[in-house]
Amino acid sequence: MKFFVCCKQVPDVAMAFQIKDGELQKDDLNYVLNAYDASAIEESLVIQSNVSELDLSLVLIGAEKGKEALRKGLAMGAKEAFHIEGDAFEGSDSHSAANVLEAFFKDKDYDAILCGKQSQDMDMGLTSGLLAQKLSIPYVTNAVALKVNEEAKTITVTRQGDEGQEMIELPFPCIVSCSNDMNEPRIPSLRGIMQSKKKPMNKIGVADLGLSEDQVGKSGSKSTLLSMDFPKARKAGEKFQGDADELVSTLIDKLTNEAKVL
Amino acid sequence: MILELNEDQKMIRDSARDFAEKYVAPIARKLDETEEFPVDLIKQAGEMGFMGVAIPEEYGGSGMDYVSYVLMMEEISRHCASTGVILSVNNSLVCDPLLKYGTEDQKQKFLKPLAMGEKVGCYGLTEANSGSDCGSMKTVAKKDGDGWIINGSKIFITNGTNADTFIVFTCTDASLGNRGITAFIIERTMPGVSVLPMHGKMGIRASGLAELVFEDVKLTDDYRLGDFNKGFKVAMTTLDAGRIGIAAQALGITKGCIVESVKYSKERAQFGKTISNFQGIQFMLAEMHAKYDASRLVTLKAAFLKDSGKNFSLHSSKAKILAAETATFASNKAVQIHGGYGYIKEYDVERFFRDARITEIYEGTTEIQKLVVSSILIGR
Repeated sequence: MKFFVCCKQVPDVAMAFQIKDGELQKDDLNYVLNAYDASAIEESLVIQSNVSELDLSLVLIGAEKGKEALRKGLAMGAKEAFHIEGDAFEGSDSHSAANVLEAFFKDKDYDAILCGKQSQDMDMGLTSGLLAQKLSIPYVTNAVALKVNEEAKTITVTRQGDEGQEMIELPFPCIVSCSNDMNEPRIPSLRGIMQSKKKPMNKIGVADLGLSEDQVGKSGSKSTLLSMDFPKARKAGEKFQGDADELVSTLIDKLTNEAKVL
Repeated sequence: MILELNEDQKMIRDSARDFAEKYVAPIARKLDETEEFPVDLIKQAGEMGFMGVAIPEEYGGSGMDYVSYVLMMEEISRHCASTGVILSVNNSLVCDPLLKYGTEDQKQKFLKPLAMGEKVGCYGLTEANSGSDCGSMKTVAKKDGDGWIINGSKIFITNGTNADTFIVFTCTDASLGNRGITAFIIERTMPGVSVLPMHGKMGIRASGLAELVFEDVKLTDDYRLGDFNKGFKVAMTTLDAGRIGIAAQALGITKGCIVESVKYSKERAQFGKTISNFQGIQFMLAEMHAKYDASRLVTLKAAFLKDSGKNFSLHSSKAKILAAETATFASNKAVQIHGGYGYIKEYDVERFFRDARITEIYEGTTEIQKLVVSSILIGR
């Protein structure tokens, strides 16, 4: 079997962000592997340990720095990485990224493509669905568990819906977007880090994909990011003190006369 | 001049940070309270490759450099200085001398399982009446045919309660002082070896402190580590590198103090604003961070010199002086910033304050480090 995980490198959301003139200030940011993608890698490695054979490869579109995220995935245990890199890919939206990935997967053999259900930076959650449509293969979102049937060449996906969980069986090849609720990604060991240096990191440019520069990155995008801003700070709620009787009558008064919901 | 970590070093730092946050931080307070040696945690640390960071892969280690070891030590000690020193002793006081002075057989038999984390090691130099003056030690090794008989005891031995393999220094010729010391490898399971746990320490309370007692312990000559009567050199060169690990442990404690103090100062409000708005607090934080950065640079330089095969003794001693004094300073300020809350166990800075103090004492006191530095400067 052959699995791919589509990865993205995102700013570390634990850091404080600065926005100036509607633009995110990127100079002091740390970049990390998107947490949802790390879960997709972890799940693939768990599957790998339970089946007779599974090759796991990673693919990432992004700047030179993106190779750090790929190395982390290799250190976790993936076999090979493909880094689609170049200035032309800057400013991609989901549509543009899906176009690039479609071109990448055109000549690849694969049984399943796993993606994080969204990226932690833009939180769109669109690329995997757009890619599934372009490749015309079955697609399930928000997986919280995966089970592979090697003989039947199927994958059973448990997905989290709004009102419960669904189990859906998909034939190979297919795309699944993964939630980070499905596992706790392993921390790369020092041995894994050393081994990751020796694993193939294939660089791919625009021409290698048979695309032109105006089909990728910002030029190939269908949406334009106009401006960024922080959400408005919410007003702090009121706090009341007193014994239970006082608190209940204060609350009833507020709900009746201010909120007018009683 | 490039003052930047390489990609491998950054990855190791990140892995150690993730490991420390996920597995070390949640149990650190309990370890301090119970004085319990963290057996499972050390097993996990071994699987991560933290028990033999700078030992070559062929001997079961991770094959990294000493800079990586410093980064790992800092990240672990930021949450738990006890776990930090357990790793430090195994890495630099046990694995390092086995790599440097061990025979190929000793490396295969003893170093490999220690570097892989399958076994734990300890370093027996200190005795009841001999610390820095190790020439006056009373543990003796007497020639017995082709082998040796060891008698004596060692105290304040980190990892002692749980160690499988001991590096033990003995007097083999009392008339020669420092030049009459020989190092041996002793296994816990050997007849005549007993381990007596020691309790009641102020800080690093989960480090498995013990007294090791040797009563007619018989060793064949292949348990001798290094040359006959050359044990002082084994001990001193080992401590030279060990100091880098302790400096890194102190850096971790300081980092913990800074992180917790910044966080607390932004939460604690007095006189209508958070205390981070007061210059008195701001100055303390700035001093803590300036001293942290300075001692970190010297510690990394000592590690870099060791990795480059250059003499690092001067820098490892300077690193230990600076990093240990900074940890004492920063933990004192951290308690001050936390006020009354810093004086109770619910806040980690209380533990950091107690943990910091040992870094100025063990593996050579600050005063001994000053003698090392000044003797190199003066040329004695």
